[in-house]
Amino acid sequence: MPIVYAVFILLLVSFGASVMSLEILSSNMMSPYFGGSIYIWGSIISSFMVHFSVGYVLGGWLSRKYPQIWVLASFLVVCSLWVLMIPVIYKPVCEYISEGIVDVRLGSLIAMNVIFLVPISIMAMVSPYIIGIIAAWQRQSGLSAGMILFISTVGSFAGTNATAFYLIGLFPVSRIIAGVGIICLAVSLIVLLLRIDRRIRIPGANDCA
Amino acid sequence: MKGNTNMGIILLAFLWLFPATQAMAAAGSQILYERDSIYHHITIRQEGMQRCMIFGRQRDLRQTCIDLEKPDASVFEYTAMMFAGFLFRPEAKSVCLIGLGGGYIPTVFRMHLPQVRLHSVEVDPLVEKLASEYFGFSIPAGQKLSIDDGRQFLKKSRERYDQIWLDAFNSDYIPSHMATKEFLMLTRSRLTDGGIVIQNLFCNNRLYDAQIATFRSVFAKVFVFEGQNSGSCIIVASDRPATDPAGLRKQAERLGGRIGRIDLFAEIVKCKASAAVKKAPVLTDDYNPANLLLMQKK
Repeated sequence: MPIVYAVFILLLVSFGASVMSLEILSSNMMSPYFGGSIYIWGSIISSFMVHFSVGYVLGGWLSRKYPQIWVLASFLVVCSLWVLMIPVIYKPVCEYISEGIVDVRLGSLIAMNVIFLVPISIMAMVSPYIIGIIAAWQRQSGLSAGMILFISTVGSFAGTNATAFYLIGLFPVSRIIAGVGIICLAVSLIVLLLRIDRRIRIPGANDCA
Repeated sequence: MKGNTNMGIILLAFLWLFPATQAMAAAGSQILYERDSIYHHITIRQEGMQRCMIFGRQRDLRQTCIDLEKPDASVFEYTAMMFAGFLFRPEAKSVCLIGLGGGYIPTVFRMHLPQVRLHSVEVDPLVEKLASEYFGFSIPAGQKLSIDDGRQFLKKSRERYDQIWLDAFNSDYIPSHMATKEFLMLTRSRLTDGGIVIQNLFCNNRLYDAQIATFRSVFAKVFVFEGQNSGSCIIVASDRPATDPAGLRKQAERLGGRIGRIDLFAEIVKCKASAAVKKAPVLTDDYNPANLLLMQKK
């Protein structure tokens, strides 16, 4: 079973890091259009919290209904493709919204949700989905729910620091986001190709893999 | 052992009862105000007749100070150099100042350049309140104040200014969206024909080189005042300035050599036609490591 755990850890770390990398980068994306005031950080943090909430509920619900990794990985492919689009869409989206809405609080809140609601909600599904699969697996697992959240948080720690302290100094924001998208897509496709569900026998579930 | 413990408790109680603010007061420096705004930790300290507004917890960070007896005297070298930059467009009728601080710059405009319509912009509402309460800042007829982000203000503004002054940067943090090529292009679009931009910054870090490169990517002429008694530098940029550095003396003479207490002749010698900088990247909205470069010393 080590490969199953390796896949879980790969998903948790890579998407945990990607979420926080995008959160750090979003301030660079928003400030040219909505300013550098405290409101921007309010919008960024509150938007991500909403996206996390959506992802947690959706991930938990889907993992009960479809406790299979390929379902999660398929969502993650969609999420990765969305991330790859962000460098292209964020400037016109922010420009359009900032032109139409004078209040920077409302404007930045709408822009954050248009750009990030879909990908961040899907990324936030990873931890509850894996917890759900392990619960349905009914196997004595070495990964407790707490350990899963820990691994994801370690990924987030790495993503935050690497982006804020190094990547922003080395690359344009659009290229960092594209890089995050490529990594997310590669991880999602690798997980799909590995057909991990064959190794996870869940009592009562259809073996679709 | 017990005696040591008692001494420790007494020492802790002493530190609690007499915090750093009072210890400083005993040394001749008095803390008049200390509180957090939504953007900064702000301290107002007075030493003798000098009163300063300090941002951040390290008390040697960005300061704005006035001499209570001579409120138009430039306590810092950078403000005097900024007024020397005024000579590149001396017949200015309208000036926009981004970054209010204690309001020293508007005070000089009010006292000595009353013909200039000054529009100050400050992001932090508490800074404006404290400037009024502790630094004698007031808005006379002909001056305006807006509480807004500097870039947002310029984006929304339909006014054109003869000069735009940028004084919103700290020694440990800059609002990076106001350091990019796109921001400078916006600033240039808000200038009248022959208008100038004057920006205050520190010259001992790699951000300085990047800022010069960014200004050069937008403006035809970029001049620098290099501080002699401080680590401050001033950039003056324009597409068509009224003079070049060689002609500053003549412009200073026309103003009688002074703006209030500022000796313009002493400042214009610090102006360089071409800044000696290393090759550096142009900062854009997409590539903007401004705060990382600020921390990297040259």
